Amino acid sequence: MEVAHYLKPKTLKEAYDALLQSPRNVLLAGGLWLKRSTPSVETLIDLDELGLDKIEDEGDYVKIGAMTTLRQLELDPLIKNLQEGLIVKAISQIVGVAFRNSATIGGSVAGRYSFSDILTPLLVLDAKLVFYPKEEMSLQDFLNLKGKLNSILTHIVIKKTRGLSFFKKVKITAIDFPILNVAISEENKKVKIAVGSRPAVSALAQRAAKLVNNASEITDAICKEASQIAVEELIFNSSVTASEEYRKLLAKTYIYRGLKEVLK
Amino acid sequence: MKVSFILNGKPLTVDVAPGEYLVDTLRNNHVLSVKKACNESSCGACSVLVDDKVILSCSYLTQRVEGKKVLTVEGIQKEADELSDYFSDQGADQCGFCNTGLALTIHALRKELKNPTDEDIKNFVVANLCRCTGYQAQFLAIKNYLEAKK
Amino acid sequence: MKIVNKKTPSIDGKGIMKGRPYFTDDLAEPNSLVVKVLRSPHAFARITKIDVTKAKELEGVELVLTHHDVPRRAFTRAGQGYPEPSPRDKFILDEYVRYVGDEVACVAAVNETIANKALKLIEVQYEILEPILDFEKALGNKVLVHPEEDIYEMFPIGFDPKNNVAASYEMEVGDVEKELAASDVVIDETFYTQAQAHVMLEPHSTNARLDYQERLVIYSSTQTPFHVRRILSQALDYPLSKIRLIKPRVGGGFGGKQAVHGEFFVALTTLKTGKPAKMVYTRQEVFESSYTRHPMRIRMRIGANKDGKIKAIDCHSLSDTGAYGEHSLTVYMVTGSKVLPLYNKVDAVRFGGHVVYTNHVSAGAYRGYGAIQGNFALESAIDILARKLDFDPLELRRMNMIDEGETSPIFEIMGEGTKGTAMDMETCKLQYCLKRGAELINWKEKYPYVQVGPHTIRSVGMALAMQGSGIPIIDMGAATIKLNDDGFYNLMVGATEIGQGSDTVLTQIAAEALMTTVDKVIIYSSDTDLTPFDVGAYASSTTYISGNAVLNAANKMKAMVIKEAAYFLDADEKDVSFDGTTFKSNDKEITLSDMANKLYYSENQHQLTATGSYVGQKSPPPFMAGFVEIEMDIDTYEYKILNYVSVVDCGTTINPMLAKGQVEGGVVQGLGMACFEEVKYNKRGKLLSNSLLDYKIPTMLDIEKLTTEFAESYEESGPYGAKSVGEIGIDSPPAAIANAVNNAVGVRIYDLPVTPEKIYHALKAKK
Repeated sequence: MEVAHYLKPKTLKEAYDALLQSPRNVLLAGGLWLKRSTPSVETLIDLDELGLDKIEDEGDYVKIGAMTTLRQLELDPLIKNLQEGLIVKAISQIVGVAFRNSATIGGSVAGRYSFSDILTPLLVLDAKLVFYPKEEMSLQDFLNLKGKLNSILTHIVIKKTRGLSFFKKVKITAIDFPILNVAISEENKKVKIAVGSRPAVSALAQRAAKLVNNASEITDAICKEASQIAVEELIFNSSVTASEEYRKLLAKTYIYRGLKEVLK
Repeated sequence: MKVSFILNGKPLTVDVAPGEYLVDTLRNNHVLSVKKACNESSCGACSVLVDDKVILSCSYLTQRVEGKKVLTVEGIQKEADELSDYFSDQGADQCGFCNTGLALTIHALRKELKNPTDEDIKNFVVANLCRCTGYQAQFLAIKNYLEAKK
Repeated sequence: MKIVNKKTPSIDGKGIMKGRPYFTDDLAEPNSLVVKVLRSPHAFARITKIDVTKAKELEGVELVLTHHDVPRRAFTRAGQGYPEPSPRDKFILDEYVRYVGDEVACVAAVNETIANKALKLIEVQYEILEPILDFEKALGNKVLVHPEEDIYEMFPIGFDPKNNVAASYEMEVGDVEKELAASDVVIDETFYTQAQAHVMLEPHSTNARLDYQERLVIYSSTQTPFHVRRILSQALDYPLSKIRLIKPRVGGGFGGKQAVHGEFFVALTTLKTGKPAKMVYTRQEVFESSYTRHPMRIRMRIGANKDGKIKAIDCHSLSDTGAYGEHSLTVYMVTGSKVLPLYNKVDAVRFGGHVVYTNHVSAGAYRGYGAIQGNFALESAIDILARKLDFDPLELRRMNMIDEGETSPIFEIMGEGTKGTAMDMETCKLQYCLKRGAELINWKEKYPYVQVGPHTIRSVGMALAMQGSGIPIIDMGAATIKLNDDGFYNLMVGATEIGQGSDTVLTQIAAEALMTTVDKVIIYSSDTDLTPFDVGAYASSTTYISGNAVLNAANKMKAMVIKEAAYFLDADEKDVSFDGTTFKSNDKEITLSDMANKLYYSENQHQLTATGSYVGQKSPPPFMAGFVEIEMDIDTYEYKILNYVSVVDCGTTINPMLAKGQVEGGVVQGLGMACFEEVKYNKRGKLLSNSLLDYKIPTMLDIEKLTTEFAESYEESGPYGAKSVGEIGIDSPPAAIANAVNNAVGVRIYDLPVTPEKIYHALKAKK
């Protein structure tokens, strides 16, 4: 990786101004995939010293600084208690401890990686994203956004929910990227379902969730039907790791099992 | 640009290029226990500790260690010596290219986990790849070592 | 035995764990020029113009080399004995590039950044040629991977580049067609094995400098220092006597470092600039520009009678050697020679076919070396046959497999590249291995499968395997032992420690023979100036071949010290007793230490040095029965490996823990190949699996348990009864997994790796 300049701003404004200076200026969060994704950089803007690495209890919400590492999240009591530890279930399967000590939640979200194991649970948790200087938007809107957002992600805000949850990552080896992942959250028998690495980036299966949430009684047949609807409403494709057809089988199987588990 | 940090307890100032990674800085400064095997955050051979946390030095910019503590196997010689007895006991030392990174990961494991289960141990060291041993001997060596060090 | 077959710590474990600088790149001169290679983006192309002006002008660039600047002498990088059984079809740099990653030009600069910049400044015009990317279409294709005229074979290996054939082979014992026609049951199945990457953790590394005698001194992460020296000398037309090749600690090889890699470029850089130079492959280069396992298509026809007697085996195979023919013939022959003798009671057996060139990454040596490919086909086919005959697969094997005291005609017919050597199985504990393995996996209870949950079943599968112990009449190893003052020894061996523990094992053998302790034998291995010759670490040869050489040298040394003691004790040699430290005769005694001090400082002064060497007259195979238990999700067909049982007959284990490590490491690499590892290309021949993010190897969490035991066995021809153990572990997993999957859900996967998705499609096709 070629880097002409390195900058460690002390304020968000300084970082933001630097970002605007050149399209070849790049924000540095964890930096784990940086050299793979970015062969050449004019100024690398390191967000390390902006104090964005805190997990804050804001009453009904948890506010997570974008530079919080995955390992911090994994060990944090607030996050462990959130939706039956859904985020921890997902994060603890990402590479290894050393990786997670550097990788940040902000970098994982801002990268909108199609192979992300974090976006899928964050989607069903209805995460809100806070950017500097001004934007706020839901994660879902951010994922649908076309083009690059010339702002700095500063926080991820999640409502404290206490229902049951399900996360499944289908992978080849323990430290692999997902072939597919499924996250389901439940609160008062209402569910949200997201599927990631299809291989496109995570998305909510809203029609499938609606079927479950409108059902007068949760039956095995409803769970089956919902899993079928999910694979119909979401787009699946083939990639080097799995075919479209097999991905659909995986999604259907694990959505069904997940629904049975959180609705039991 | 200059970067100053504490390497294995001693202050060190190095001259680095912008965008230089810690693994290269350390090796360029003759800290040769740190190994570069995949250079892509995927194998664990380059693991070192920064401010007591194990990280992958192939993906960690040297500028980030400014003012911080860096620990390599050169800084835990006695511990590595003891650990090697447990590896020997299980026949877990083969080529050894992954051993130094693993030794540092085990060092971090000991600091972070009290009474780890077998699964905890495996989850902690799982991203330290080894192509020689098939892992079982390594796992038993680590387990016995942790048991003895309780 | 006091040292051999006893738990003995590795002699180097501490230094390695403590990070002592002893790997190749740790020993590069700090001011080395950094050598980088410009690599082809095309699977097949001819360089029509190459302009290096801008690269040369860049400050800090010391050297740029293209095919115009290097000697053109065809050689093979294979790293084998001489004359090589691989075609000489490679040039240091050539006007043709034959795979994505092939060498176009080389740059040496003061640092890596500048070297990389210089690569980008080289302007190349290519005539892009149509590549061959399907090895089943290579034979006789109008596209020729090697159109050049100045390439050749050293002796007949079936080399026919005008048909894209790197090597070919045929052999038949008895009349296969006749026996098949007379069989009650015939199966005819075709299997495919994939390319696998070695993924040794240490990338290929090498560095060079000129010493004060103006000799070229190269450190290299190689398995074959003596071969590398010879090949360098030949390719560069530079005197062998002016090259010193030193192999430091090697961070894993598995065959991937048997061949030459960057040594040509660092050597040329140092010779042309006079400056030290170094090269470390990037991980991408390790994947794209070193070697893979030869992918193969193997057709197995087996005829048997209803009573279970196997009458004939016909194995026809096609192998993909990629762009260059390293190990093309020898890997191919092992597919037959270290597989088919497992069922030695047949009336007829045939083996043959071609090894073809394609525009893939060159295939080369890889642990298992043909045997794993052949084993997958044969041991899958035996299970298919068992089903057809309605036999328990264990029983069918028990009836037909090779046993102690028996032989196979194949041993005499097939060697590696040449004829083989006849031998009887003086040790073959397969019957025990099979029985014990079945007990350990609990075959009786678990075969073919048990349901353990609503969507979970557990099944078992197994396969037998055999290997060799070195290449008979070709592989030579030698050892020199020197007695020092104070009475300790130096053991100098050409044998190549690459992480497998051979330095420890050879030290143990010497210590045992000299009745001393491991700390009194200081080993130094693999330095072409200082150690005697050895072919290197390949073909499961080190314990058996080099071990026998060490034993010979140690026995000679023992006789020497007793002779000297007789002088000092004023006694007859036959009256001198020696326990390793003290010589006694009647009432008189002298310690080895005192005697050595006298020998070198005061009385009867002369140096004691003993050299032993060994060439195998046969290659006693180690044997193994591998059993696996898997747990499968019958909705998604994902499966976990619960336990892999290995019961191994490798003769005496010189170092039981290291032997276990060899088996377990081999098994897990074999499981990787069986379950998911695969070198993949895109449609234009570019490697997709060119990083550890894209090419996955097993982790600690992927295999729940390994159960490894050794059969009691003593091979008379081996050092202290040892056979080899380096490769045997890798062979059985692919077939064992395919058999377990078949036992679980009733479908056969014919092409590796056995992925859940393939199981899904196979079941769907069946329904």
